[in-house]
Amino acid sequence: MRMRFIAAAAAVVLTAVASPAYAIDQSKGKPGFCPSATGVTVVVDFQDLGGTTIVRCFPSASRGTGLDALKGAGFQIAGVQRWGEGFICRVENRPSAVEIVPAQGKQNYRELCIDTPPGSAYWSYWHAGNNCPWVYSQWGIKNRDFIPGGFEGWSFSLNKTAKTNPQPRIAAVRPGAEGRTCNATEEPKPTTNDPNEQQQPQPNTPPGADNGGGDGDPPAAEPPPAPATSAALPLPRPRNSASPTAANPALSVAFTGGEQAEDVNKVLRRQSGASPYAPWVAGAAVVLLAAASWWIARQRRRARKA
Amino acid sequence: MGSTWFLPRDLHPAAWWVWALGLATAASRTTNPWLLGLIVAVASLVVIARRGEAPWALAFRLYLVLAGFIVTMRVLFRIIFGGAEGSTIILRLPEIPLPAWAAGIRLFGAVSAESVLGGFYDGLRLATMVVCLGAANALANPKRLLKAMPAALYEVGTAVTVALSVFPQLAESVLRVRRARKLRGGTGKGVRALRGIVIPILADALDRSLLLAASMDSRGYGRAGVATTRARAATGVLMIVGLLGVCVGVYATLDGSTPRYLATPVLVAGLVIAVLGFRAAGRRVHRTRYRPDRWLLAEIVVAASGVAVAVVMFGTSRVDPTNLNPSLITLSWPLLSWPPLIGVLIGVTPALLAPPPLELEKAPA
Repeated sequence: MRMRFIAAAAAVVLTAVASPAYAIDQSKGKPGFCPSATGVTVVVDFQDLGGTTIVRCFPSASRGTGLDALKGAGFQIAGVQRWGEGFICRVENRPSAVEIVPAQGKQNYRELCIDTPPGSAYWSYWHAGNNCPWVYSQWGIKNRDFIPGGFEGWSFSLNKTAKTNPQPRIAAVRPGAEGRTCNATEEPKPTTNDPNEQQQPQPNTPPGADNGGGDGDPPAAEPPPAPATSAALPLPRPRNSASPTAANPALSVAFTGGEQAEDVNKVLRRQSGASPYAPWVAGAAVVLLAAASWWIARQRRRARKA
Repeated sequence: MGSTWFLPRDLHPAAWWVWALGLATAASRTTNPWLLGLIVAVASLVVIARRGEAPWALAFRLYLVLAGFIVTMRVLFRIIFGGAEGSTIILRLPEIPLPAWAAGIRLFGAVSAESVLGGFYDGLRLATMVVCLGAANALANPKRLLKAMPAALYEVGTAVTVALSVFPQLAESVLRVRRARKLRGGTGKGVRALRGIVIPILADALDRSLLLAASMDSRGYGRAGVATTRARAATGVLMIVGLLGVCVGVYATLDGSTPRYLATPVLVAGLVIAVLGFRAAGRRVHRTRYRPDRWLLAEIVVAASGVAVAVVMFGTSRVDPTNLNPSLITLSWPLLSWPPLIGVLIGVTPALLAPPPLELEKAPA
């Protein structure tokens, strides 16, 4: 019975995990800023954790959530066990399970990705339209769509308050598209406390409407047409195009496209001291123990009959 | 000593409980299927090698069935209530639309390998803990456990022992009723047969409870002695509050995701209150024990092997927790490092070093 159970369990694991682990997904996304308004640029700023900021592009012509952008750009992430990918606790394996995060009020804090990270050490989520200032997201990563041609930012907030949360230190300006006005609409705040509330589709420019050159600016004076589905919500107002602008790109920190970044799975194997042989030994031990159980049970049955 | 070490005898039941709880604690710290499978295999081997012939020892199989049921249910729930976390979709079921008030709940739809595996890992952890408790129930004699209780713990101990042995007793009832049916040539199937099994079992359980109550009564359990009603009520309240505190505290200590203020403070407060209650209760109960179980070297070895498994796992979760909760973001074989693997294997010691159990025919009546 038990042997059958173990065999069944092994079969489930075998069939389910047969696909290989992929490497840092150079296959997904492209290093650096998006060259055109198609897709979204994802900025990951490690801030006080140390490490070079990474900028990658998710060149998608279709809509997607913040999670799609982050994963599509090739970043390797981990969600907390409790909430899954709805709450990101690690990006590119930072802060890793073996890294002590100097969070205030927590001695020797390590991010174990089991429950929601503390307010003093977590990945803050930002977004920005092209040439716009960064905005701290009021929405969860799965609950809002990225701005086509815009930016998604991840910035590690260590011992900061809601006021001093550090925005990504990369100006949200695509090279070659400087000097345009910021045309991102202000996103409405969530109307309920339901964490599953989904943002209503925004009247952004249809993705892929322009091929590289322009930003597809809609006439700034005209309010965008209200989407049929969001009749209950107030109309998203276009920003006053005069005041908000992105930071000067010259002040951005140095960044890479993550070309040299090591595969997170490899890093994990090294950090954890995992041995490629240990799972084999574990499997062999399970088989051996099962065989020994069966043998002992048979011996005892025979002894009882004798 | 070498010659007497392997003489058949019943080990002190507390030793088995310490060993099994050590394994269960280790299992609660990880979702790594390698480690969990290994813990199940270790517990099963020790049970098969060292269990006696008593009815409660035969209930282990039921715990394994229960464990399999838990895993299956967890995986099924992931499939039914939205298992699309992750990108590897293995099954596309039609999604059943739900009204607006059920927002956030999803029925069927795409099922991803990551969700199913997550459910499997999580279910396997709970199932492993259930198997560990089943191992303790199969190996430790509940009657001897009750006998080994300190005087102050008698009232609580009786309740706990009765509660713990309900499942094994039920298993034994099922076996007896089925055997009796077979002897009578009862071959009915379906609902009629079920009635023929369930009703005798329930009647059996009731009879046994009455019998147990009568025998406990005649042996002086629940004797109030000279204590006043108020003193007894105060003792009872102290004990229950204290034990509740201990339960919450132990749970919070073992479960890493519970707020920390529920862990040590509640545990310590609960212990203090419980000790006060026990002292009050112990003052008025005087009981002697006939041939008490002794705590010998073999008991120490068994208990220490269980504690060692838990300690290694705790140490790993402090120092090097990466592999204890395998990541499901990118599908890959769960990684494993040597320390927890070796640690779990320590748990197999009792299969080799514990004295063999008394055989039924040789056991004193």
